[in-house]
Amino acid sequence: MKFQEITFTDTNAQRLYKDYIGRVKHAIKDLNKENQHETLLEINSHIYEAFTLSKTNEVESLLDIFDKLGRPEIFLKELVAEKRLEEATKTFNPVKIIKALFLNITNGIMYVIFLLLYLSLFSFLFLIFAKIFDPENVGFFYRNNDIFVLGKINSSTLNYQQYEQLGNWFIPVMAVSAFVLYIIITFLLKFSKRLKNK
Amino acid sequence: MNEEYKNKWISQLKKGTLSFIVLNILNKDKEYYGYDLISEIKRITDIDIAEGTLYPLLIRLKNENLVEHNWVEQQSGIPRKYYRITKEGKATIAQMKAYWDNLNQTINSI
Repeated sequence: MKFQEITFTDTNAQRLYKDYIGRVKHAIKDLNKENQHETLLEINSHIYEAFTLSKTNEVESLLDIFDKLGRPEIFLKELVAEKRLEEATKTFNPVKIIKALFLNITNGIMYVIFLLLYLSLFSFLFLIFAKIFDPENVGFFYRNNDIFVLGKINSSTLNYQQYEQLGNWFIPVMAVSAFVLYIIITFLLKFSKRLKNK
Repeated sequence: MNEEYKNKWISQLKKGTLSFIVLNILNKDKEYYGYDLISEIKRITDIDIAEGTLYPLLIRLKNENLVEHNWVEQQSGIPRKYYRITKEGKATIAQMKAYWDNLNQTINSI
């Protein structure tokens, strides 16, 4: 279905219309092409239907219609935030997910929690780099009733290095753990609304 | 009287009941396009809604599988997006109505 501009006889009305449609396009520019198109078609349809029933001149009619619809930057904000999150979880793109969560941060505590969960994944990245720069004191140290550390130990204290369990597997295990947790958190985020309503 | 507090309460009530009103209208087994639906809301209630807010609401109702839609081409070249209630929507509005009636009775009995 193709987007078709509404034409007006009054050039001022045409300018007003183009300006408003431009603002709608700008407000939804971060959505995927399909959602952008659908939203634009629906707002355009609203303007057209309202305009055909109006009895005043073109400029006055349009001003009245836009006034009742509201500012696109405001009434489309929540919609864009929701759609972006939906798109982001479909693609599993971490940058898109983080951006979408920031947009949704005012829509509920749930999104703040998810944002923190995602940010916590950086600790795995930190451990991987720490292992490269300090292989002796970074790792998974475990001894029953004595030590349980995933991270860095102080080299000046007891000789705990001998209890490191993963050795050369530490970096691959951290990378795989981060990846698996990322997938789990994303699935939880994807279905969070459904879980919330059950 | 605290006019400001009353107006805030009315505004919250309107916002909270809009989805209830929309589902009730669609429950008449008639399809509505966005502008038509807004006109119907205005006709049967005295709620003066910010019209733009209806569209995000309709998308949420669609995401919850309570309504569905289809685009219909028009001679004008500007298509209309018609909304109708789903089976799940009908079941949900029946429960919402029962709750609303119960709440109404409780409030009236106070």
